[in-house]
Amino acid sequence: MYYRIIRGDLRAGKLITLTTLLFVTAAAMLVSLSAILTVNLAGAIDTLMTQAKTPHFMQMHSGELDRARLTAFAEQNGKVDEFQVLEFVNVENARIIIGGKSLADNVQDNGFSTQSSMFDYLLDLDGKAVIPADGELYVPIAYMKDGTAKTGDTAVIAGKEWTVAGFLRDSQMNSLLASSKRFLVSEHDYTAIQASGSTEYLIEFRLKELSMLGAFKNDYTSAGLEANGPSITYPLFKMLNAMSDGLMIAIILLVSLLVVAVAFMCIRFTLLATIERDTREIGVMKAIGLRVSDIKKLYLVKYAGIAALGCALGYALSLVFRGMLLDNIRLYMGGNEKASLTLLLGLGGAVLVFLAITGYVNRVLGRFRRISAAEAVRFGTTQDKSGGARQLRLSANRLLNTNIFLGVKDVLARKSLYVTMLAVIIIAAFVITVPRNLYNTIAAKSFITYMGVGNSDLRLDIQQTDNIAAKAAEVTAVMEKDPSISRYAVLTTESFTVLKEDGAEERIKIELGDHSVFPVKYAKGRAPDAGHEIALSVMNADELGKQTGDVITLKSGGQSLNLTVCGIYSDVTNGGKTAKAAFASQAADVMWSVIYAELVDKTLTGGIAEKYADRFSFAKVSGVDEYVAQTFGPTISSVGTASRVAIVMMLLISVLVTVLFMRLLVAKDRYPIAVMKSLGFTNADLRVQYFARAAAVLAAGIVLGTILANTLGERLAGALIGSFGAASFEFVADPLAAYLFSPLMLACPVLIATIIGTSGTGHITISGHIKE
Amino acid sequence: MKKIIAADHIDKAFGQGIERRKVLNGVSVSISGGEFVSVMGPSGSGKSSLLFAVSGMDTVDGGQVLFDGRELGALKENELADLRRTQMGFVFQQPTLMKNMNLLDNIILPSLRDNRRNVKAITEKARQLMSKTGIAGLEKRDITQVSGGQLQRAGICRALMSSPQILFGDEPTGALNQEAAEGIMSLFADINETGTAVMLVTHDARIAARTGRILFMCDGQIVSELRLPKFRGTELEGRMEQVVTRMRELGI
Ligand SMILES: Nc1ncnc2c1ncn2[C@@H]1O[C@H](COP(=O)(O)OP(=O)(O)O)[C@@H](O)[C@H]1O
Ligand SMILES: [Mg+2]
Repeated sequence: MYYRIIRGDLRAGKLITLTTLLFVTAAAMLVSLSAILTVNLAGAIDTLMTQAKTPHFMQMHSGELDRARLTAFAEQNGKVDEFQVLEFVNVENARIIIGGKSLADNVQDNGFSTQSSMFDYLLDLDGKAVIPADGELYVPIAYMKDGTAKTGDTAVIAGKEWTVAGFLRDSQMNSLLASSKRFLVSEHDYTAIQASGSTEYLIEFRLKELSMLGAFKNDYTSAGLEANGPSITYPLFKMLNAMSDGLMIAIILLVSLLVVAVAFMCIRFTLLATIERDTREIGVMKAIGLRVSDIKKLYLVKYAGIAALGCALGYALSLVFRGMLLDNIRLYMGGNEKASLTLLLGLGGAVLVFLAITGYVNRVLGRFRRISAAEAVRFGTTQDKSGGARQLRLSANRLLNTNIFLGVKDVLARKSLYVTMLAVIIIAAFVITVPRNLYNTIAAKSFITYMGVGNSDLRLDIQQTDNIAAKAAEVTAVMEKDPSISRYAVLTTESFTVLKEDGAEERIKIELGDHSVFPVKYAKGRAPDAGHEIALSVMNADELGKQTGDVITLKSGGQSLNLTVCGIYSDVTNGGKTAKAAFASQAADVMWSVIYAELVDKTLTGGIAEKYADRFSFAKVSGVDEYVAQTFGPTISSVGTASRVAIVMMLLISVLVTVLFMRLLVAKDRYPIAVMKSLGFTNADLRVQYFARAAAVLAAGIVLGTILANTLGERLAGALIGSFGAASFEFVADPLAAYLFSPLMLACPVLIATIIGTSGTGHITISGHIKE
Repeated sequence: MKKIIAADHIDKAFGQGIERRKVLNGVSVSISGGEFVSVMGPSGSGKSSLLFAVSGMDTVDGGQVLFDGRELGALKENELADLRRTQMGFVFQQPTLMKNMNLLDNIILPSLRDNRRNVKAITEKARQLMSKTGIAGLEKRDITQVSGGQLQRAGICRALMSSPQILFGDEPTGALNQEAAEGIMSLFADINETGTAVMLVTHDARIAARTGRILFMCDGQIVSELRLPKFRGTELEGRMEQVVTRMRELGI
């Protein structure tokens, strides 16, 4: 009996059995991988934080600091085990040059400190708390990963030279999500660099018990101690460390959910078809007194077999692939191979998939309960609960061709059957549209004004030299007389100190000059005029808590200066934190100058750029197109690549699922297909019916997916771009592409897949299905 | 009367290799217009296979079948489908009605394939057939909301929609109680009365006794044939007697 059912089933759907096996394998592999990754990540974070002795509570502070008072607090408080104040010099990114390249475009706040003596160690790649020699610089591991620094590189910081001696794991600030990074230098070098930046303090505590943390936080706050800056606790450090790899694990889990869903779909279809085929036998088995659970067992055996095989394969594969995915964790947090636990949990993941599959099969088999012997004999098939579409009557149809009508009606009548395919199409339409629109938007020429770059033709950067103001004047004198240049503007970036509401101070870079010549796009307000106005980048406005109309107080050469915020704009340059103003400055602290120019004849950009580059060797001259290509090119092209990859992936998945779905559907519907044929419907008629079903699902999916992409998707993309500093984001979509080509691009392969998937209708014989 | 079906030495086998079994073994039979024929024989003797072969629903391995003078083996699948839809009607033991459609839609379904414009006329014809077959008023019922006999009647209506030359029935009363079965049989007799040929497969002597010509099958061959005068509804016992006697002689 077992043998007959299993063999009959396997024969009937070799392809479907194989596909089911494939998806079960993939699901088991992914779930097992995420289990392995989770254990390793958790273990690695623990090891790192234990080795580094990460503080349980840390208060960042800038400004005055009363060491004696803090020490007294720490000694009196019974919860404190250890206490220290670390110093940290924040150096302007433009003044940090590693291997000849400055970190000016880096979004992190980079700072320097010395090795701690008590806890919160900065560890080298062997997990040891290194103490650098004079002239040695240890660089955050993130800069090794992204290729910013290599061992042996020369680093120039605020004019002083160092050699990159190695890399650091920082249990606090490892993650790119932590917005600061700590470099390590020797005590002696630290003193030398101290004057080149602003000092911040890390007030750190380790408690006797971590569980006292909540109470301790209260103690600290109510003692009214130094608190100008964020405070961070041990659990938060842990979360920061877990975040990026955790995200990867979440994505893997998400994908595995999708895969499990497809596996469920395969199983559901094969089972339903089998049940329909065997209804009469099942009715008879019930009639002779077999229990439902006994009958279930007969069918469960096959799927338990497939699930077991798939899970075993998937588990084995996860062991092969885990190395690849563990690399990142190993790099950032050091190896932590608790081999036996890893293997066990991976196995646990695979077992989970096995249980899910067999559980699902068991549930679908619950339909046996509904088969009554009488019904089985009378209809020969189980009666699906037909949902709705009853109002769609053939006799009332004047509009559609009969075959098309039958197809559409079937979709409406058996909605739950088509949900899987609909979901896949919606996801595909969404995933194809969003990156594509994002790419079109950021690749559009107008987008650079979103990014804080004026729409000009030529750009001269003068930086890392002295006497910047004089040099800029030299250039403009020539431009003034140059007939090929129609307009130009000099924008000089200087560093100022802002007084915040609470009295704290913060450094801010302001680009001074005439901002009306080459305006950027203002999310709110407008460009600053010559008076007491300032425009802030979105990130700065957020950080300073300012709106248009608010007043900002700057300290400049001993005097204070009140400026009204007149506009807020998007900027992705210089880490997104910039400001624009037009007041005359005291030339106190010029960091760099940029001269923008518009040419009479834009086609000559290359030649004119060359001319200026030859003449002014201190300036970096580039065409703006070239500048944009250099600065944003990699981002734009990686979004373009991501979009193309997304399109290909989604098309592949849609085609695969459609072929599979249609095959399953035809297999399930063999009986009604045979009946249709006996009534004189041709194979072509049947293909039209199935085509209409696919087209109905496809149309609904594309419409829903496109709507979602342009609402939810736009908001997601906006949030993503906003996190880099560009605000008021809207898709620049080419309507023809978005509403015609994209849908067609998805529709054509899916419809072709439908034709391939339904070719099986031709092989269904009448005699094989309705002969008595 | 002209010949509708002329089957000449047809062979049919199923299965592969050693499992291969000959199901029809050189069967010849012809059916003329307006005839009322039944095929009898034990289960597995090849009755259904014969019906499927002569109606072109299944191919034959040897011999040939002429339907209305056209050789079925030479026709393309689409032409066979057209023949089924326009010239033949089928009724099976299981009422092969489509789910998710009410009775009326089921009945008009095949006719609408060619003639969507005449929906009104088609619906009208369906209603007439329904009242003739005794299921008037059930148009909007779902197929789960009526009895087996009513389903079978709806199936017959569907088969008659194209005014076929011949109506095939493969044990159409097999799943019905005696009363419902007799109702269906008189319906077949009425249909035959209007000139439509009928070919029924059955293993019930009571059913066969109502037809005018009985073919006896055994092991893939027609082993005997019995002709009876037109059934007038009175002499059933005597006719059954004849059929049963013949069966006993044949050892089936
Ligand atoms: N489509 C088919 N595939 C395989 N074997 C079949 C098929 N149709 C009929 N058979 C076999 O052929 C033999 C005759 O079947 P059938 O013509 O249905 O007999 P009857 O209708 O007289 O009971 C049976 O043994 C049956 O198993
Ligand atoms: Mg039969």
